[in-house]
Amino acid sequence: MVFTGLTQQSVIGLITRSSSKYRVNIIVDRCKECGICISVCPTKVLERSNILNKYGYHPPEPVNIDKCIGCKLCEYNCPDFAVFIEKVG
Amino acid sequence: MAITYTHPLDKHLRLERIPTLYCPGCGLGIGLGAMLRALDKRISEGVIDPRKVFWVGGIGCTARMVFYVNYDAAHVIHGRSIPFAIGAVLANPELKAIVVGGDGDIAGIGGNHLVHAARRNIDMIVVMFTNFVYAMTGGQVAPTTPRKVKTTTTPYGNPEYPMNAVKLVGSLNANYVARASVTTPHYIEQFFYKALGMSGFRFIEVVSTCPEVYGRHIGLRDPVEMYNELKKRVKYKHKPSLEEAEIDWEKGIVIGEFIERNNPSFIEILRGGQA
Amino acid sequence: MRKTFASGNIAIAEGAMTAGLKFYAGYPITPSSEIMEYLAEKLPRKGGVVIQMEDEIGSINAIIGASWAGVKAMTATSGPGFSLMAEALGLAVMSETPIVVVDVMRAGPSTGVPTKTSQSDVLQVRWAAHGDYIIPVYAPWSVQEAYDLTVKAFNTAELLRTPVILLSDAVIAHLWEPLTIYERGEIEVIDRKIPVESSGTPYPPYKPDPDLVPPMPVFGRGFKTIVESLTHDEKGFYAPRDDAQKALVKRLVLKILKRIDYIYEQETRFTEDAEVLLVSYGSTARSVLNVVLELRKRGIKAGFLRLKTLWPLDEERIRKSSSAKKIIVVENNIGKIYMDIDRIFKDREVYPAPVISLDLPTPKDVLEVVEQWL
Repeated sequence: MVFTGLTQQSVIGLITRSSSKYRVNIIVDRCKECGICISVCPTKVLERSNILNKYGYHPPEPVNIDKCIGCKLCEYNCPDFAVFIEKVG
Repeated sequence: MAITYTHPLDKHLRLERIPTLYCPGCGLGIGLGAMLRALDKRISEGVIDPRKVFWVGGIGCTARMVFYVNYDAAHVIHGRSIPFAIGAVLANPELKAIVVGGDGDIAGIGGNHLVHAARRNIDMIVVMFTNFVYAMTGGQVAPTTPRKVKTTTTPYGNPEYPMNAVKLVGSLNANYVARASVTTPHYIEQFFYKALGMSGFRFIEVVSTCPEVYGRHIGLRDPVEMYNELKKRVKYKHKPSLEEAEIDWEKGIVIGEFIERNNPSFIEILRGGQA
Repeated sequence: MRKTFASGNIAIAEGAMTAGLKFYAGYPITPSSEIMEYLAEKLPRKGGVVIQMEDEIGSINAIIGASWAGVKAMTATSGPGFSLMAEALGLAVMSETPIVVVDVMRAGPSTGVPTKTSQSDVLQVRWAAHGDYIIPVYAPWSVQEAYDLTVKAFNTAELLRTPVILLSDAVIAHLWEPLTIYERGEIEVIDRKIPVESSGTPYPPYKPDPDLVPPMPVFGRGFKTIVESLTHDEKGFYAPRDDAQKALVKRLVLKILKRIDYIYEQETRFTEDAEVLLVSYGSTARSVLNVVLELRKRGIKAGFLRLKTLWPLDEERIRKSSSAKKIIVVENNIGKIYMDIDRIFKDREVYPAPVISLDLPTPKDVLEVVEQWL
């Protein structure tokens, strides 16, 4: 699902999905579709989505969210501050 | 379970300037993120006062990092970020200087300042992103470009031997010399975290990817391919020697902490009146 | 206030300290080196820092950084070093950084004669960097004036957030004369406007007050300032747009021109009845005044106009300074300020009187070049 939330500066779209342990968040309009997050994920949680952001890029989607181990490699390797992981509960 | 809408690094960024102008998959953003996580830790520990931090960059893709961060910043002229930082920290020793630049900015046009700042052990952290090319101007040969690589100004292959900044700075009086890669953001964070807790001249080389204007020259088609090719070649070593700093795309690139010293910094010497 | 005996170079160093200099970066070059040597001894005792950099490029960039750290900063050099500083001078203009750059002129081109004098940098200091801008240039003719105009150079830099050039030469540098040194409080010292403490939101570093000069959000106080070399808006954000370029360049120029009453200084003697006006500046003006006195002895109604500010020029004041029909511009170069004077007095006879001399042109030298136009 896609949420629209208000940050300090602007309205952003957020793709967010949770497992029982982790939540993966993608800030839609920051993504440049480089594919690094999809590639570095050791459990293949992320896949390219069909959503088109305002710059014409397809952000990733946490399709296999239940496989997420919370390693944050996607967050740490995203060059555009577009992905962040939260612990749930 | 409230949903947070903000990235944990948002408070360190000038959000109205995000997204960056960097090409998709550019390694610079990865490096910047790692540096900001380290800075965030040092701030929360009370070691660093964010009001006293300033970032300086010369000209080039890397240098532009300074206007994406929510700190005092200076985007100055090509090659002169180090002397600008020298003036600022000597005029107000409470300030903490973070200098960022590409290998062209820091080691090419700014090479003389790099040498002398390291020799003087002046209090600043220099993070040099090496992407082996002049990226912003369209992919010309850089001081770090390996031999035989074809660039827009070496169409028959680079005839020159590259400069090795880790060996160069390590041979001088710098207190800290380390190398990481954008494919190892945890090491960038770890080394930058350590550097933030030290004094004197601290130099971190970050081997980076430039998928758009370098990757294409060496036949790597997309950001993921370039990232993975670099990742394969990077090897962490505990306290490697300067001899091991040689960058060889075929044999591999050693990352790690090459030099760690506790020599009195320039400011410490001025304050102590030591000759 | 104390009276002493000093050289022009020492006077510049003392003037800078009176103005509140706290950071000096330089590179040795004849005939300016004594300024750094003198400050290296004196400035640390006043809580300041002197560093000898690896070159002149490093020197000027270091003083720009120091100025953003909140202190008054200066460098001194001679023509070859000044040439190296050109690009960073543009950075100081663009980022509106108050600094003082001293150029102690020597003969050129290139290495020329390091120990000997010239006035050939008068246009170089004005136009050194690329881009559109105006920066003030002061040219002293005595040891006392080297001191006074150094204080004025700092005041102008701080008042208008601009780089300012103090243009001395090898003659003034090594000339010893009586000097009165003032304490703070005995002489006007201007400090830059700094915004009140920040609330944590970024302060726009290029948002001007009505005088067109923006308060300077220096580092370390939470302003989240951006020193920007790119064309920028008031926030310091890159603005590659025609409207932003026009607005910025216009303001950079107008903030200086609006205060020409403060910046521009000249000295006139015997101008009331003058039929021939001799125009000069810097060390050469010393001999020119002598020639004016000599001509008056011979019954020629000669007048004397000495420019203390070489740029920008107050054209109205220059025009009104004399009604002489004939004007002769004497300078130790191929005739550079002549071009301005000729333009300003376009309805009168204006002649160049270039003297190219490695030493202070003697009154005899000056008389020779002046006489051909009498």
